[in-house]
Amino acid sequence: MHLWHNFSAIWRSVPFLLKGLPITLSLTGLSGLIGIGIGLALALMKISKNKLFRWFALIYIDLFRGTPLLLQIMIVYYALPLNIDAFSAAIIALSLNAAAYLAEIFRAGIESISKGQMEAALSVGMNYSQAMRYIIIPQTIRRIIPPTTNEIVALLKDTSLVMVIGLAEIVYKAKQIGSATANFLTPLMFAAILYLIFTIPLTRYAEKLERRFSRGD
Amino acid sequence: MIRTVNLTKKFGNLLVFEDVNFKIEKGERVVIIGPSGAGKSTFIRCLNFLEFPTSGDVYFEGKRIDKNSNLPAIRQRIGMVFQHFNLFPHLTALQNVTIAPIKVKKMSEKEANEIAMYYLSKVGLADRINHYPSQLSGGEKQRIAIARALAMKPDLMLFDEPTSALDVEMVKEVLDTIEKLAFEGMTMIVVTHEISFAKEVADRLIFMADHHIVEENTPSEFFAHPRTERAKKFLNKIVNI
Ligand SMILES: Nc1ncnc2c1ncn2[C@@H]1O[C@H](COP(=O)(O)OP(=O)(O)OP(=O)(O)O)[C@@H](O)[C@H]1O
Ligand SMILES: [Mg+2]
Repeated sequence: MHLWHNFSAIWRSVPFLLKGLPITLSLTGLSGLIGIGIGLALALMKISKNKLFRWFALIYIDLFRGTPLLLQIMIVYYALPLNIDAFSAAIIALSLNAAAYLAEIFRAGIESISKGQMEAALSVGMNYSQAMRYIIIPQTIRRIIPPTTNEIVALLKDTSLVMVIGLAEIVYKAKQIGSATANFLTPLMFAAILYLIFTIPLTRYAEKLERRFSRGD
Repeated sequence: MIRTVNLTKKFGNLLVFEDVNFKIEKGERVVIIGPSGAGKSTFIRCLNFLEFPTSGDVYFEGKRIDKNSNLPAIRQRIGMVFQHFNLFPHLTALQNVTIAPIKVKKMSEKEANEIAMYYLSKVGLADRINHYPSQLSGGEKQRIAIARALAMKPDLMLFDEPTSALDVEMVKEVLDTIEKLAFEGMTMIVVTHEISFAKEVADRLIFMADHHIVEENTPSEFFAHPRTERAKKFLNKIVNI
């Protein structure tokens, strides 16, 4: 009886939990997109001939990968004199952090294309931009899509950390329900299931692509 | 067709070759031979400017070429076949051959496919057109690479050790393909250590060693009566293997 009572209370609070979903998803989507942009710029800096660019990218990546994301979120929101709302602070911290990881993925992807590919493309008369467009970039994209997808999955999970600055995403909502009903297990399990609905298909998709591309070359 | 004057290449302080004077006429078939590290690859890569010479000049059909020339236009006329094939792994065999005609020569897909099929049949791979490079054997890959170069209808073909990355049983199919081209009159420069191929195909053999062209002769003369000590030493080594 007790369990059933709890369950129905939880069932009634599912819509409440789902209200956290748009925040989780928009944080993931926006930070993912911005992170990809910055990450690409960092990757190009890291392989550029310009020493200043290389140093900048190196230090940036070390800093963001070498400190906890939780700390970065708190620094952006509480410590920096930015005067912004929690959502913007979360976007900034999450994108800057994701960029550091994505930059390494992109750099490795670009560098994994052998020098012979560019030479073969030039030898048949392509100019540099044709060679990049038809030969180098398509191969790079194939190689970076699987690890990038995995990185987005990690980002999706990491968005839960923004509850520390009061953003009502999924875990925050689950905790609220737990406090109100004096039962933490069920809402937290629901939250877990909600994450899995997104993470498992994405992970499978990344694995499938990885298998397909590794057969393709 | 192509001519070099005092061509010199250094990588930093490392001298690869210096003052190389070389010439090939239309229809000629030249084989380059020499010890590893002699600069054979670097030399032929300077001919289509995949590598920029440090000093000296390259003339293509009488015109001097340098960094500022229209290199893509020149490279369209000089086909190159690499030791490690360098096929485009994300494209099928057919697409490997058609991509340059379509994107560089702006040919229609239909026209490019016809040309590609002609050359793929010629290298004996018309039945492999939808295979990806990873699904092909080494010998097949190299023949696709030859078709890819030929589809641009080059006036000159450069081959950089086209068979040295192949298992022995595949060497012949690739050499036969190149031989066929040679007998059709294609102008070519081939870096190779295949002695019988050189004798069969080449009008002239160039022996490169110690930063220079050390000897230049017909292949049969070179192998039978090498004139320099350097060549004798080299031939002793490769014949003993
Ligand atoms: N990109 C490069 N940067 C620095 N040194 C290079 C580069 N390419 C070649 N070299 C050096 O130049 C020399 C000549 O190399 P090259 O590949 O032209 O010789 P090769 O005659 O083709 O030898 P092999 O028979 O082994 O192919 C070698 O000492 C090589 O290490
Ligand atoms: Mg070589």
